[in-house]
Amino acid sequence: MKRDRYHLLLVAGVLAAIPPAFFAPGESYLARVFILMVLYAILTTALNLVFGHTDQLLLFTGAVAAIGAYTTALTAQWLGISPWFSLLAGGLLAGVVGVTVTYVAAIRELTVIVISILTLALQFSIIELVNSLRDVTGGVTGLAFDGLTIPPLVNLPWFTEDIVLFYTLGVVLLGMLAVYQYLMNSRYGLAFEMIRQDETAAKSVGLDTVKYKVIAGFVATFAIGLVGPFFAQLSGFVSPGTYQFNNIDVLILIMLIVGGLRTMYGPLVGSAIIILLNEQLRAFAEFRSILFGTLLVVLFLYFRDGVVPFVDDYLDKWDVKRRAQDLMPGSRAPER
Amino acid sequence: MVANTLVRIGALAVDGLSLGLLYAMLGLGITLVFGLGGILNLALGVFTVIAILLVVELTASVPVVLAAVFAIALTGGLGIVLERSVLQLVYRSEGDERLLLGIFTTLGLSIALQGALSLRYTGEFAVPVEIPSVEVFGAFIRGSSLVIIVLSLVILLAMYLFFSRTYTGLATRTIMQDETGAVYCGIDTSRMRTFVFVLSIVIAASAGILYGLSFETNVAGAFNLTITAVIVSIVGGVTSILGVVVAGVGLGILTTFLSAYLGSYISTIALFGAAIVTLVLKPEGIQ
Repeated sequence: MKRDRYHLLLVAGVLAAIPPAFFAPGESYLARVFILMVLYAILTTALNLVFGHTDQLLLFTGAVAAIGAYTTALTAQWLGISPWFSLLAGGLLAGVVGVTVTYVAAIRELTVIVISILTLALQFSIIELVNSLRDVTGGVTGLAFDGLTIPPLVNLPWFTEDIVLFYTLGVVLLGMLAVYQYLMNSRYGLAFEMIRQDETAAKSVGLDTVKYKVIAGFVATFAIGLVGPFFAQLSGFVSPGTYQFNNIDVLILIMLIVGGLRTMYGPLVGSAIIILLNEQLRAFAEFRSILFGTLLVVLFLYFRDGVVPFVDDYLDKWDVKRRAQDLMPGSRAPER
Repeated sequence: MVANTLVRIGALAVDGLSLGLLYAMLGLGITLVFGLGGILNLALGVFTVIAILLVVELTASVPVVLAAVFAIALTGGLGIVLERSVLQLVYRSEGDERLLLGIFTTLGLSIALQGALSLRYTGEFAVPVEIPSVEVFGAFIRGSSLVIIVLSLVILLAMYLFFSRTYTGLATRTIMQDETGAVYCGIDTSRMRTFVFVLSIVIAASAGILYGLSFETNVAGAFNLTITAVIVSIVGGVTSILGVVVAGVGLGILTTFLSAYLGSYISTIALFGAAIVTLVLKPEGIQ
C-alpha cells in the first residue's frame, strides 16, 4: 500500500514540475503537446483497466468521449451553467452507456471479439448520429466550445489557460491512477485477474463476474466521458471529426501496447512516446498513417509486452529495485 | 401519381439490388477468411480501393475490360504476398488470441496501406466508363446498376458452383466446419487458407471495380467499405456463405430505400443497428 503512494507521489511530482519547466506565455505549442499527453494518458489508463484487466475490448473510446463532450456542451448551453458543472453530467452519461454495453455484453456472455466488433459498430453509429442531428449538435461543423477556463486566474500575468487545463487534467489523471491502484490492490484486482485468466472457473467459485466487469466498464467510460470535453476545449469546437476512430481509438491502442498492458506506468509512457512521434510527424499526415499502421502490426506481433515490463525485467535482472529499496529508510525486507 | 410512385420504387429496387449484390460479395470476402482461418480481415476495403485505382491507372493504356482483369490479378497477387508474410505470423497463435491478433494486424495493415495510397491519390475516383441509362416502363435505370447485377450474379453463381461441386470448394467448407476433421481427411489447411484468402481478395477486388462503375470513392472510404463488409458478414451469420448473400441483398435494398426516403445518415445508422442487434441477439455465430 505504501509503495503505491510513492508511485502516485512520483507521478504528481513530475506533473507538477512540467508547467514551470516547459510552459511559457506565448509559447502554447509545447504546452499543447503536454496537455495532449495527459489527456491520452487518461484514456489509455481507462482502456488498460477495461481491456487489460477484464478482457473487454471497447473500441468506442472516441464515441464515449464524444458523448461526454456533447453532453457537457449542450447541458451547459441549455441550463445556462458553466461547463465545469456539466462535466459531471457528461461523465455520468458516458458511464451509463459504458454500463449498458458492458452489462449486455456480460449477461449475453459475449467474447472479446464480439465486444470489439459491437463497440466498433457503436463507434461509427454514434458519430453518424451526431452528424445527422444537425439541429442539436451542429452536424459536421459542430458547436463552438470554450468554457473550461477559469477567468479570474487567466488574467494573472503568469497564469495561462494552458496551465489551468494541464493541472485540471493532471488531477484527473492522478485520481484515475489512484482508483486504478486501489482497484488493483483490493479484492477487485483479484477478481479482475481471475476473470481474465479463467472466467468459467471464476464463476464456479461464486464470483459475480457480471458485477466486476460492469464496474470496470463504468470506471473506464466515466473517465473517458469526463475528459472528452477537453479535446473540444483545446480546439475551440465540439465536432465529430475529433472523436473519430482513427484519431482516438487507434492511437490509444498503440499507446497501451507500446507502454505495456496491465501496468500503471505503461499508459503514461506509451502516450508520451506516441504523442511525441505524432507531433514530429505532424507535417506528414500520410507518413504518420504508414508509421502507426506498421507500428500496430509489428507491436502486436513481436512486442506485446511493452516498454514498462521490458524495463522492469531489465531492472529486475540487475537487482536495481532491491538495492534502491534497501536505500530507503525503514525498509528492510522488501516484498516480492 | 400512383404509377410514378411505382416507377420510382421499381428504380430504387434495381439500385438496391445492385448495391445489395455488391454488399454480398464484400461480405463473402469477410466470411470466407473468418470462417476458414479465424481472421477478421479489416484490410478488405483497402484491396477493393486498390483494385479501383489499378483500373483507373491501367485504362490509360489498355481497354477497360482488360484493365479490370489485370487489376484483379494484381490485387490478388498482393493478397498472396501479405498472406504469406504477415498473416502466417498471425496463424501461429490459436483461439481467442488469434482472433485478436488478426483484428489488430489487419487494422494496422489497413491504416498503413491507406496512408501509402494517399501519398499519391488524394481526390475522388471512379472507374472511367460511361454506361448509358436504360428506360424501362418510363423509369430510367442506371446502366451501371444493370451491369453490376448481371456480373455480380455471375460471380456469386460461380462461387456457389465452386463451393458445392468442386473438390477444393468442398474441402474449404470442410475446414470451416471442422478444422481437425479436415486435417484427418488429408486436406492441407495451410495451403487452403492461402487459397481462400486470395479468393476473398479477388472477390473483393471484383466487387470494388463494379462498385467503381456506379460510385465515386476515395482512399479514406476504404475503411467504410471494410466496415460495411463486416456488418453484412455478421448479419449473415459470419460463417454461412448463403446467409451472407441473403444479408447483403437485404441490407442493400433496405439502405437504398432508407437513404432515398429518410436520408443517408439514417440509412447508415440502420446498417450499424442491424449489426448491433444481430451481435446482441445471436452472438453464437462469431464465437
